[in-house]
Amino acid sequence: MLDAIDKELLKTVAELEGIPKGAYNIRKNGKLLGREVSANINIETNPEGNGIIINIKPGTKGESVHIPVIVSQAGLNDVVYNTFIIGDDSDVTIVAGCGIHCGTSKEQGHEGIHEFRIGKNAKMKYVEKHVALGDGKGKRSLNPTTKVFLEQGAHAEMELSQIGGVDAADRLNEAELGPESSINITERVLTDGNQKAISRNQIFLKGNDCKANMVSRSVIKGDSIQDFYATLDARAKCFGHIECDAIIMDNGRNETVPSLKAGHSDAELTHEASIGKIANDQLMKLMSLGLTYEEAVNRIIQGFLK
Amino acid sequence: MLELKNLKFTSENIDPAGKPGIRTIINDINFTFEKGKFYAITGPNGSGKTTLAKLIMGINEVTSGSILFEGRDITKFSITDRAHAGIAYSFQNPARFKGTTCRDLISIAAKTDNEEKITRLISRVGICPLDFLDKPVDSKLSGGEIKKIELATTIALDPKIAIYDEPDTGIDLWTIEPMVKLLKREQCEHGTTTIVVSHNKVFLEAADLLLIINEGKIIYTGDLNGAMTLLNDFSICNYADIFEGEYNARCYR
Ligand SMILES: Nc1ncnc2c1ncn2[C@@H]1O[C@H](COP(=O)(O)OP(=O)(O)OP(=O)(O)O)[C@@H](O)[C@H]1O
Ligand SMILES: [Mg+2]
Repeated sequence: MLDAIDKELLKTVAELEGIPKGAYNIRKNGKLLGREVSANINIETNPEGNGIIINIKPGTKGESVHIPVIVSQAGLNDVVYNTFIIGDDSDVTIVAGCGIHCGTSKEQGHEGIHEFRIGKNAKMKYVEKHVALGDGKGKRSLNPTTKVFLEQGAHAEMELSQIGGVDAADRLNEAELGPESSINITERVLTDGNQKAISRNQIFLKGNDCKANMVSRSVIKGDSIQDFYATLDARAKCFGHIECDAIIMDNGRNETVPSLKAGHSDAELTHEASIGKIANDQLMKLMSLGLTYEEAVNRIIQGFLK
Repeated sequence: MLELKNLKFTSENIDPAGKPGIRTIINDINFTFEKGKFYAITGPNGSGKTTLAKLIMGINEVTSGSILFEGRDITKFSITDRAHAGIAYSFQNPARFKGTTCRDLISIAAKTDNEEKITRLISRVGICPLDFLDKPVDSKLSGGEIKKIELATTIALDPKIAIYDEPDTGIDLWTIEPMVKLLKREQCEHGTTTIVVSHNKVFLEAADLLLIINEGKIIYTGDLNGAMTLLNDFSICNYADIFEGEYNARCYR
């Protein structure tokens, strides 16, 4: 059922050696390849037939769901709408990711629109990796959207990364925070060649005592371009922080625009942003430990994106 | 084992009037460090101690003169080659990374992924390995913590010659003595030629030989007792320098 290319993609995006344990839904070239539900986690196709609904029972603890997507068919642009309903007091990990394998000169892409409804005091960890492999010259694009709604006391940990080979990415992340809820988003993007990646983030801090922390790490090599926009929009007594760092190598270009909006007098919002080359003192330090210049650059980038 | 011959370092400089010129920072230093000995270097702020250390490590490029290490001319060696030859430098202001952890740095230096070895090295500098192993070496670390990690990376290299640039800045009173003992032990057990740049009396006392640098020159070599008058003189001079031009400055010289 899984060929060699599928296995390689699954391994890269979901760290899976073959079929996962527990609940999963594997989508290949716009069709269902395999699905498994568990006693607490149900997965079904949505009424429109263009995505899935993942329902996690209240109180489910320590379980995980894998929902990788594989696009290896030439010329395919796969669009999918997934909804996650995460029951109160649960604690789950969701591993998503999309691997494109492009072997021809035709364009290939995936657009995953993910909506998360996280119940009261529930905790969710969401890990999403995007990668494109293959020797084909076709443009590979990935345009993910995530919308997260957090109810009272809910917590979301989101790790989003684009590790390589993606020619064009336009990402949209939105979050709406209820009282005492919190979200940590970490985004890591590496671009090279003529690739372009845009990330737009809108976080609405609506409930009292909610917290948001957004970290973005970009490495921009070759002639690639990355733009990062993030807005914290505070409507209650809350705390929010944006930290965005971009390392530029070669002729990379970057625009970083953090923005803070306080619509409440008790909102505390901060941001740190930096764009620049790898710091010289970091290179000197690693070289004084015996690494060559190139090895030092690689280690610094590795640490930065890890 | 390490020989400095007519060592000179100059930099381009713009004087207060806006005129470009050349400023001599290390001015014709001649000195030979002997194998296995413990040296302390002191001198006023801005006298050139860090610059000298960075010339030895290859971080600053020698303007003229030469550096010989174990008989080989290393003046044109890269930082990397000097590290491989057995020279190590503990930075006065250690680099802060993003994401790179204490484990990463020490495993590069010690050339091992062995967790037991890495934790042992971390605990030798007086911090808890469990707390620090996977902590990023970033701007969140305190001044003293990062200096201790810097020290650990140098010890992990097990170098032939180690230069510690003010290892005691930011270090609390309770860890300075153990730090002196640690460096002494490295010197005795591994025969490490040790150079400590410091303003702290404890290190000056611990040294086999004390060097005083002023305005880019070695102006004294000997023991601490013989240097006392000179050092006392400096404390008065510095006072005048620091407060120069301020209303409340009074120099009792
Ligand atoms: N690369 C450089 N280019 C130009 N000037 C430099 C350079 N490096 C150091 N300097 C200057 O040379 C002088 C000596 O600096 P250095 O850092 O060596 O002093 P130091 O003796 O280590 O002082 P401290 O006790 O404060 O650490 C200073 O005035 C400094 O500003
Ligand atoms: Mg100095």
